[in-house]
Amino acid sequence: MEFDFLAIWDHRDILIAGVLTTLLISLISIPIAIILGAGTCLLRISPKRTMRWPAVAYIELMRNIPLLILIFMVFYALPFYGIRISGFTTGIICLSAYGAAYFAEIFRGGVEAVPKGQFEASRALGLKYGFYMRRVIFPQLYSYVFPPGSNIALTMIKESSLLSMITVTELTYAASDINGRTFAPVETFATIALIYWGISTLFLKLAGSTQARLGAHDSNSAIALR
Amino acid sequence: MDLQYLEILPRTEPLFIGMLYTIFVGIIACLVGIIVGTALLMMRNNRIWIVRFIANAYGSFIRGTPALVQILIFYYALAPLTGINIGPVTAGIMAVGFNSGAYVAEILRGGLSRIPKGQFEAAAALGLPKHKVWFKVILPQVFHSVIPLLVNEFTMVIKITPLLSTITLVELTRASQMLYNETFRPVEVLTITALIYFVICYAISHFGEVLQRRSLKFRP
Repeated sequence: MEFDFLAIWDHRDILIAGVLTTLLISLISIPIAIILGAGTCLLRISPKRTMRWPAVAYIELMRNIPLLILIFMVFYALPFYGIRISGFTTGIICLSAYGAAYFAEIFRGGVEAVPKGQFEASRALGLKYGFYMRRVIFPQLYSYVFPPGSNIALTMIKESSLLSMITVTELTYAASDINGRTFAPVETFATIALIYWGISTLFLKLAGSTQARLGAHDSNSAIALR
Repeated sequence: MDLQYLEILPRTEPLFIGMLYTIFVGIIACLVGIIVGTALLMMRNNRIWIVRFIANAYGSFIRGTPALVQILIFYYALAPLTGINIGPVTAGIMAVGFNSGAYVAEILRGGLSRIPKGQFEAAAALGLPKHKVWFKVILPQVFHSVIPLLVNEFTMVIKITPLLSTITLVELTRASQMLYNETFRPVEVLTITALIYFVICYAISHFGEVLQRRSLKFRP
């Protein structure tokens, strides 16, 4: 068979728009997920049961339901309650809610790695909870949290491909679009696979160099999740 | 809108068939993943650099591209490329299995790093042939130490099977889509679906945690 990469080249504007949308979605939802995750982690490690249990329930729900089902629930079920949101917004909400649960677990792992004596010392010095969490505990977390955290962020970039199912015009949707116009599935999907691979490799390189600067521990984070 | 679970519940039979299908696909894909992962692990430790390079490139590609794209490639691109015409079921299972394989290889590598190098040397010194060193000495120990992680990997596999609904496999997600298109009740159907996924994944990951705790207890 012959390869018709020219057909892809003719539709490059769709692909470029798709890449930009994918990057935009990731760029918005990753910071939201990190912030939400830190908040959930604070609830999760709280000594009060009424604060801890909602966080546990949230984390377990997000970790045990496939993202696609979550996206469908937000996209198809919310309009029945009069809430109409676009696919793009749905995507950002779902991705950040999903990532937040994983970030919360990572942060919790980091906080647990900090020696108990530091909490006691901070309390003994009369520091307030908010202050010592912010100024003593969290700054130490970078090195523990960074390797698995970058892994989750990469996962979120990849998972954004699921949004093609709710007609968000990101990279995978662009590919289906081009495939529908050109009937060249091999070239189209090979191209977007290469683009995704490029994005991931670039992201991992960036994360790796930042990690080296932070002097982070290299745990075997690769097995965290996909 | 008021929820009408009582009307939906008698019609959820396709969901349970879909659930069984999801579990079936998950088990087969996991087995494929373990075979592929073991092969990748052995390729990574090969003496010939090109074999190592192929294994590393494969792992990087699988981990660098979305599972959905891999499934689409398997479904749309494999037949025109190789002339092998496999149906959606085989394509889906293979795609998920080959995806899982790259992650299983990472898990096994973690297990292998805990095994002292001396074991290879001792086995070689005893005159065991290469394949026996791997299959009789090294791999049993590796698998024993990573069983909890492999159980977790199974939940990961279950969690990517919904993507197979895009290539017309009637597993749980597809069954629920068909059901809510038929009944116009997405809220009820999707919450039941989510509940089923939650129960499956939570049960398996809880089982994994129990295994992990037990394996820690029996390890010096």
